[in-house]
Amino acid sequence: MRHNTVSAIINLVEPWEKLEPLTLDRPVGTLPFGGRYRLIDFPLSSITNAGIQNVMIVSPRSGRSVADHLRSGNDWNLDTIRGGLFNFPYNDLSLIAPQKKETLIHHYYDNTILFLKRSSSEYTVVMGTRNICNIDLKALLRYHQERDNPVTTVYKSIDASETEPDASVLQLTSNGMATAILPADSENVTPNENHKYAKSLKIFLMSTIDLIDILKEANERGDLISLEDLMLQAVMQHNANAFEYTGFYANIHNIESYYNANMSILKEDNFRSLLYTQRRIFTKVKNEIPTFFARSSHVKGSLCGTGGYIEGKIDHSVIFRNVFVNRNSEIKDSVIMQGTRIGAGSKIEYAILDKNVVIGPNLQLKGTPEKPIVIGKGQRIFQQKEVANV
Amino acid sequence: MLAIILAGGQGSRLGKLTKSTAKPAVPFGGRYRIIDFTLSNCANSGISTVGVITQYQPLELNAHIGNGSSWGLDDQMGGVTVLQPFSSTEGEKFFEGTAHAIYQNIEYIDQQNPKYLLVLSGDHIYKMDYRAMLEYHKAKKASLTVGVIPVSTEEAKRFGMMNTDETDRIIEFEEKPAHPKSNKASMGIYIFNWETLRNYLTTSFSTNKKLEDFGKNVIPMYLANNESAYAYSFEGYWRDVGTIKSLWQANMEFLSPYNSLNIGDHNWRINSKAQVLPPMYLTPTSNINNSMVVDSCYVAGEVDHSILSQRVSVGEGSKVVDSMIMPGATIGKNVVIDHALVGEEAVIGDDAVVKGTVDDIAVVGYGEVLGVKKS
Repeated sequence: MRHNTVSAIINLVEPWEKLEPLTLDRPVGTLPFGGRYRLIDFPLSSITNAGIQNVMIVSPRSGRSVADHLRSGNDWNLDTIRGGLFNFPYNDLSLIAPQKKETLIHHYYDNTILFLKRSSSEYTVVMGTRNICNIDLKALLRYHQERDNPVTTVYKSIDASETEPDASVLQLTSNGMATAILPADSENVTPNENHKYAKSLKIFLMSTIDLIDILKEANERGDLISLEDLMLQAVMQHNANAFEYTGFYANIHNIESYYNANMSILKEDNFRSLLYTQRRIFTKVKNEIPTFFARSSHVKGSLCGTGGYIEGKIDHSVIFRNVFVNRNSEIKDSVIMQGTRIGAGSKIEYAILDKNVVIGPNLQLKGTPEKPIVIGKGQRIFQQKEVANV
Repeated sequence: MLAIILAGGQGSRLGKLTKSTAKPAVPFGGRYRIIDFTLSNCANSGISTVGVITQYQPLELNAHIGNGSSWGLDDQMGGVTVLQPFSSTEGEKFFEGTAHAIYQNIEYIDQQNPKYLLVLSGDHIYKMDYRAMLEYHKAKKASLTVGVIPVSTEEAKRFGMMNTDETDRIIEFEEKPAHPKSNKASMGIYIFNWETLRNYLTTSFSTNKKLEDFGKNVIPMYLANNESAYAYSFEGYWRDVGTIKSLWQANMEFLSPYNSLNIGDHNWRINSKAQVLPPMYLTPTSNINNSMVVDSCYVAGEVDHSILSQRVSVGEGSKVVDSMIMPGATIGKNVVIDHALVGEEAVIGDDAVVKGTVDDIAVVGYGEVLGVKKS
């Protein structure tokens, strides 16, 4: 891909309420995933793998956890002389005070327009982070260039039975164009003859000039409308090319889907197709020591990060970096994030433990596959009765 | 203080493991290379300018060190410079010995204009604060300070031994003595007053060219000329990993959570080139005990008292015991690996047996392919 042929915007303003408490102090995009990644690593790696060097990050709030993870962008090869990473905080309209909102009318998209103008790129791709995939953006660009329509959007074909009612799906014409993106339960959308839906991955590619026009028009109208909604309107207004993505895919919209996505990459095929292809997934590198598995440990069917010290039993779980698992403890079907400590003799099942959680000895934390128990970041639990209150 | 790391050793005693890599670049402890310990010690000691002198197979070492950013040594003022032999108008600058290597890089050292020159080896496993040694060097008003470590009489026979008086001043130096008079073995760590050393080296190489090696020539010369040379005693964990046996042994010690090297100490981190790799994947049939495993390993078999480095895979039904497996090695199904060092990118086919003993460690070479049927 020629230098600056394509710019990218990663939009972190995504619904987060149903992912609480995991999203209390981070956007969906910096949710830890898969043992050592954050959700934003997937779109960022797709961008890097396509040779895109000019990237705008739209953060909902202060963007502290975003900046902490991305730093200079070096880990994604994005600290180049030209282009690089540009982080724009405080873009969640639902969190902006009314007085401040007044001043934003006609100006909400000023920064984005400036970024795009300076990028001198021919095309721009807009992506979110809640649809985990490892997409070949070069192929997406070729697909777009071969067709006449101003917008290309991406879908994954999934079984009608796997679709949650409020999922966004593309309405496709018989010649494979998208005319709308609608909720799956909308009466205008029906699955195709194979009972498949075209699930929207909320990835959009268009010419940078067209995108600037769309943003300018939104500014002129005085619409305070999210970037994602603007993109959806663009698909509705134009005929959009629909590009099918066929690799690993998971959608993160609530606790259960987050849990299931982590469990699904424990399947070897999924693990390999997401993390072991030619298109590598990059993340912030850290300098951890090797994980030590003590004589008493028994770990199987799991992913595990470095820096850990494992004495207990672990089965079918995702264990992040620097996790300490004391003797006689048992972890099953769970997601244990970075820096968490599990006390001796404790039993954890169907649980999500956020970063730096401490679980005392001889406790039982048991959720169900439908409703995994969630312990928020940094919580310390030493009494069985505290578990009941979670 | 400028640090020079002598990373030139061909490491012929490591045989197949160093066929295409310099000894300091040999993998160690799962996710390190031997030179990481010296480089991290420099960075942790606040030394921001480090020259790494190399001679044989520099590719891997160059790729590993890069701009030094992994150790925080990508300083605006100093940083890491990899110094290699080259052919100049006066002839080719290959190195005949440790002191000769310093002499051949005299322009680089002069450029840094250091008061003190710290000369280090790139092939030892230890943690040490060189600042304390420099304080000692200054306090003793020494011209040369040599780092020494106590060793047993038996071990002393393979080291350079320093015999000192009661003030720790070196009065005699013996290379590999049959009957050692002291237990102070040279660690190959020297602090020189650069001006003094520079004079000796330039005089020697413009006349008799005798100062080729620090141990063989320079230290005896210093003693003969009554320079104030002192021994600085170090008491922590230190291992020379120059042989197959000692490399295996040090890896097995590293594996112990009770190792006094204390790799997990956040106040003295040992850094290495960080790579972005997926987390380790342990299948439902895996069983790992008393072992160290790192990123991007794939384990379907059994691992007992062993170290697996990055990108190692162990197939179903295989058993790895008392061994160290270097990065990228692929171990097939139903393989037995026992008391072995398996080199980088080695491929071991199904049903193979690689079995050594404590006194005769089995070695699979760098990129070696064992027992894989050609299809």
